[in-house]
Amino acid sequence: MKRCYTQVLLAVVLVCFLAATGACTKKAVKKDSGLGEETAAQGMKKPGEEGLEEARSGGPKWNDPTPEMAAYFKDISFEYDRVTLSPEAKESLNKLGEWLLKKTSVQVLVEGHCDERGTAEYNLALGERRAHAAKQYLTQLGVNADRISTLSYGKERPIDPGHTEAAWSKNRRDHFLYR
Amino acid sequence: MKRSALISLLIAASVLIAWPGSALAKVYLDILSPFATRLPIAVPAFKNTGSQPDTENIAAKMAAVIRQDLDLSGFFRVLDASAVSSDPASSGTTVDTIKWDSWTIIGAEALVTGGISVNGSELVAELRLFDAVQRQSIVGKRYFGRAEDARLIAHKFSNEIFKNLAGEQSVFETRIAFEKRSQGTKEISIMDFDGAHAETITEMNSICLSPAWSPDGKKIAFTSYADGNPDLYIKDLASGKTERVSHKKGVNITPAWSPDGRRIALTLSLNNGNSEIYALDVATRDLERLTDDPANDVSPTWSPAGDAIAFVSSRSGSPQIFLLELAGKKVRRITFEGSYNTSPDWSPKGNKIVYAGQQGGTFNIFVINTDGTLFQQLTHNQGRNEDPSWSPDGRFITFSSNRSGKNEIYIMRSDGTGQKKISGGAGEKTNPAWSPFLK
Repeated sequence: MKRCYTQVLLAVVLVCFLAATGACTKKAVKKDSGLGEETAAQGMKKPGEEGLEEARSGGPKWNDPTPEMAAYFKDISFEYDRVTLSPEAKESLNKLGEWLLKKTSVQVLVEGHCDERGTAEYNLALGERRAHAAKQYLTQLGVNADRISTLSYGKERPIDPGHTEAAWSKNRRDHFLYR
Repeated sequence: MKRSALISLLIAASVLIAWPGSALAKVYLDILSPFATRLPIAVPAFKNTGSQPDTENIAAKMAAVIRQDLDLSGFFRVLDASAVSSDPASSGTTVDTIKWDSWTIIGAEALVTGGISVNGSELVAELRLFDAVQRQSIVGKRYFGRAEDARLIAHKFSNEIFKNLAGEQSVFETRIAFEKRSQGTKEISIMDFDGAHAETITEMNSICLSPAWSPDGKKIAFTSYADGNPDLYIKDLASGKTERVSHKKGVNITPAWSPDGRRIALTLSLNNGNSEIYALDVATRDLERLTDDPANDVSPTWSPAGDAIAFVSSRSGSPQIFLLELAGKKVRRITFEGSYNTSPDWSPKGNKIVYAGQQGGTFNIFVINTDGTLFQQLTHNQGRNEDPSWSPDGRFITFSSNRSGKNEIYIMRSDGTGQKKISGGAGEKTNPAWSPFLK
């Protein structure tokens, strides 16, 4: 299948119906033939369905928050090998959520990061879950899920290269970018 | 007495193999026996038999490569040949010219000789293996190549020696893929199993992770952030072409080729952040979901029969190794020691899984039978040891360790002996994957 690398939102609709239990009952997921259905993809999701959507390619660059935005775009931190949002994290997300509800044209990228102690591959899964924890919370505050992207870097991009608890705790974070 | 030692070894082997009488069926090394003794072998420096001077010292280097290979295998005791032939030019390389007594006296039961000639960039090497007790030839080969192929030719003959003495091929012509960090990026590199000929094979200018060899050794699957998302790519090593094969929302990570090469098991998180393992049909791109649990499932590895996968799951609270039988979708946990066990790799013979387990503040390499018995620790008290991968013959394991101060690639025998750093130079190196047999 040919892949399109241009800066276009690619979303191929691949839908697998879930049973009431949340289990995937259909084993082989049929692949859609291609492009042109990207606009449909967003609207077609129903509760209880799992979208096998293509990731977005290219698009405008994600930016670090401006000084004015910095108060809302604060990193949130996690316990080792955990994805639970702390009360402080929720407080930060409340501020970000409020701000996003006012600035409706802004999109957010949540980067999930881990400290160096775990296994690299497992940390990619953990970082994705950390990013989703923030996304889910913001969505519950009323921010449209389509405005929030997630990206896991696992332990590939520490902000503090140290090997102390202080460094680790800085590195176990969700980091927020905008565009 | 040396002669009787070899004879008794031969008798034991012929009883086991039950092919008495045939010279070709002589098995010098009983590699199945846990009590096997190391065969004493001498590999004196090769002779320059050509008319041109050997300015690169190829003759000595080739013999050194073969010595290293044989020593690494764990089945040979490589004798110090320097006492016998400080001047290789004066000792012979064929049955009639070899001074046999001088080899018998140091206890050699096998002998490797070589004659090379260099002509410009061309290299001809005549390499021979002898039974030093019977004083007869076992195998001889003439190789034609370029001077820069000297290591390659030496490895080929090491494999020839191993095949003739042990009855199966060894890893001497295999390679290892790994991640190499430089500045802000990580690219995929490949090197020979002994660390020579390292080359970077990706130019994604991004983070590239988790190289996985196709079973025919012609392709490498890996994850890259080149397009802003951790997507799955396949690099064709012959054509150099790179193709993206999975670009789903969320992670597209930790690829593992099925033994028939048709499918790649990988981890996808899709819209909900929950990592599950899928099988991607390489030709049609169809996906089959293999795991279904609200916890993280990641890092699959196939059984050699292709009927099961082992993977990491946090479904019991902390990451542990689980097995999934594909037919009945039956899942069972196999690691119970320790609270953080990851990076499983299923052995080529099918009965073992090697993995990395967290112990105190560090990681070590462990091996366990697929039925959960015979848990064994292979690395001890030497830095952080991770990402184990079996050699295609199942006799070695490669892994990464920071015991030297930064992450480098190591190899060891599958019982944990002979641990040896094989990578060098700048940059942290991680996540090694041992190639299949390449010829």
